[in-house]
Amino acid sequence: MKLVASPEERDLRAMLHDLLAAECPTTLVRSLREPGADRFPATLWKSLTAAGVLGLPFAEEYGGMGGRLDDVATYVLEAGRALAPSVVTSTLAFGIAVDRLGGDDLRARHLPALSAGELRGTIALAAPGNAHDARPAFTAQRDGARWRISGQAEYVPDLDLADRVLVTADAEGETIGVVLAARADGVRSEPLDVMGGPGQFRLVLDGVGVEDADVTAPLGAPQLRAVSHAVAALHCVELVGVAEEALRRAVEHVRERHQFGRPLGSFQAAQHLVADMHIGIQAARLSALAAVAALGRGESGVRESAVARMHATKAAKVATLDAHQLHGGMGYVLETDLHLWSERARVLATLDGTADTAASWLAEEVGLDS
Amino acid sequence: MQFELDDDQRAWLAEVREFLSAHVTPALKAELAEHDLEFKGGEVAAFRRAIGEKGWFGLNWPVEYGGLGLSAVHQHLLVSEFEYWGVPGPDLTVTSVAPMIMRHGTEQNKAEFLPPIARGEMICAVGYSEPDAGTDLASLRTRAVLDESTGEWVINGSKIWNSGAQRSTHEWLCVRTDPDAPRHKGISVIIVPIDHPGVQIRPLIAWSGYRTNEAFFDDVRVPATNLIGEVNQGWRYITGALDLERGALTNAGDLRRSVEDLVELARQPQADGTVPADDPVAVRRLAGLVADVEAATLMGYEAASLLAEGTIPTVQVSTEKIFTSELRQRIADTAMDLLGPAGLLAHRNPEAPLAGAYERLYRTAPLLRFGAGTNEVLRDVIAQRGHALPSYGR
Repeated sequence: MKLVASPEERDLRAMLHDLLAAECPTTLVRSLREPGADRFPATLWKSLTAAGVLGLPFAEEYGGMGGRLDDVATYVLEAGRALAPSVVTSTLAFGIAVDRLGGDDLRARHLPALSAGELRGTIALAAPGNAHDARPAFTAQRDGARWRISGQAEYVPDLDLADRVLVTADAEGETIGVVLAARADGVRSEPLDVMGGPGQFRLVLDGVGVEDADVTAPLGAPQLRAVSHAVAALHCVELVGVAEEALRRAVEHVRERHQFGRPLGSFQAAQHLVADMHIGIQAARLSALAAVAALGRGESGVRESAVARMHATKAAKVATLDAHQLHGGMGYVLETDLHLWSERARVLATLDGTADTAASWLAEEVGLDS
Repeated sequence: MQFELDDDQRAWLAEVREFLSAHVTPALKAELAEHDLEFKGGEVAAFRRAIGEKGWFGLNWPVEYGGLGLSAVHQHLLVSEFEYWGVPGPDLTVTSVAPMIMRHGTEQNKAEFLPPIARGEMICAVGYSEPDAGTDLASLRTRAVLDESTGEWVINGSKIWNSGAQRSTHEWLCVRTDPDAPRHKGISVIIVPIDHPGVQIRPLIAWSGYRTNEAFFDDVRVPATNLIGEVNQGWRYITGALDLERGALTNAGDLRRSVEDLVELARQPQADGTVPADDPVAVRRLAGLVADVEAATLMGYEAASLLAEGTIPTVQVSTEKIFTSELRQRIADTAMDLLGPAGLLAHRNPEAPLAGAYERLYRTAPLLRFGAGTNEVLRDVIAQRGHALPSYGR
């Protein structure tokens, strides 16, 4: 037990911080949300690929960096601060799912291209508002040597940018993972008009044909949940990054803004809002990183994931909304950009499960389910 | 970051648990329930001797001062475990006074005071607050004047919230030694034996039943060498000790136990046949407490990890102290809500759920929210030291 970042962790974080500060300015974040814009951040993608981010958790034999899930968390924390486009995290989530659920063949076919930045992916693995509910959304039926996949899933992130999507399907009572080409015949993608700008989709599959090679062996619920919770825990870390940046901006504002002849930040009421944001973020940061560590070690991690979600959703909402309060009208107008963090916080606090949903996972873990 | 105990830490925890299973007897628990720490001689005294024999009063001190040279993480694991078992472990003398003597004391201070503290023979009451100097501690007025003819400090004044003075051997006393200097710069720390002529202790009983004290100093004389470190440098020593005190007060082992017991209790039928855990609202509140205890535990590990690296993590311990003290109140209140009228049955009433532990917790919890630095002042500390916001003139 040593809850201090190692020099390597500090270096990785500083490198990613600098990279995103240089290549993911808020102007980029905003331009990707414009109607009709190309949502793919090509230059940033190239830099992140060169820095090894897209191969962070994968074995070197697949072109990865051989890192841990904790290293992905280091990226995601900075990504939350910078509001880095979610296609990076979605692609990493796809890779983690293939790595953990697929066999050697699926790994060898996808992870090297993914690590090289040549393949983008996403997943539809658990219920959109409940990472613990890993029942398959699709069905798979035998059709000669192939499978036919049908059904629909909602709130699939970054489907417009993905080359591949990993879904789960009920194959006559067993759950299998299926890797689909995102633009194959029978795949329909419908954008959802949601808070936070474009990026969420309805995925409709109408008898899409796949080969055995694109299907995993039958998967158990714990195996699927280990992946959906790992992704959810990474999103908790992202929430912490979002909250940290909201706090940083609020502090900067109250240091500089003067009223009644003194800085706003010299008022105790303002200081106590800042302190409460800080306290919430500390609880969230430690519990989110603990969840990633547990899931990275291969534990079920449900308890840690629930605790992380309960703290991270609350901390990010409080931090962004209190940042608005401290900014007043100055933060309410779109040109200050604060709403970009607030929307990301609110979106991530719903997807994977709200604090109340996570509380039900935790209740079950401690034997309080009736 | 390393979120798992390593082999050495696991072995240490096992050793602590082994000690506790051997020494936490029904007789000890009965005496603690009856007299708290107030019973001289008897089971608590024997338990303290056993801790002393293990060398655990100085477990994280350097070997040269009679300690075991273990890390702040070891100390955190031990204290948390003692709290979980509901028994007194190393107290503030060991966890915050002694480290300040090591850090800032003269060679004579160290030689004179550290060995008896390590043996558990010297116990300090902490003399900071005064009737007119509470949260505004730097306005303290108890005076110490050096009598050049005898080489003694002559002390006059009074202290309040002088907890544990009735069972302590010495005062770790904060005094004004230069009344003309700016208020933070004329303060020193002097060790005063409590049995010295001129020292008087008057009990004050708190809402929780806890005894604290007023202490009066009337021409009390101690040798000049009882002054800790350098004269007029005391503010640094006491703020350092207070940071350690906040850290030591907030290990959350007792909170983990309280919540585990409450979860268990909520699953049992109450006297009227209802089961609290059948109510989804109750379950949601309990899950919130479980999540908060986990966060508090991680905050404790973080502060201990930073301490082990040699820093005094002021902002982290302030955060942890606020979080755990406010959590303690939520636990007590949630428990009493869940238990309904039976939750009102008083502490030590055998009919009460868990012998009225939560009724008592409701009354003890306020202390740690204002004690050792009010949470409001600590929020200022987080904002000002953690985020460089300007002081508003406190």
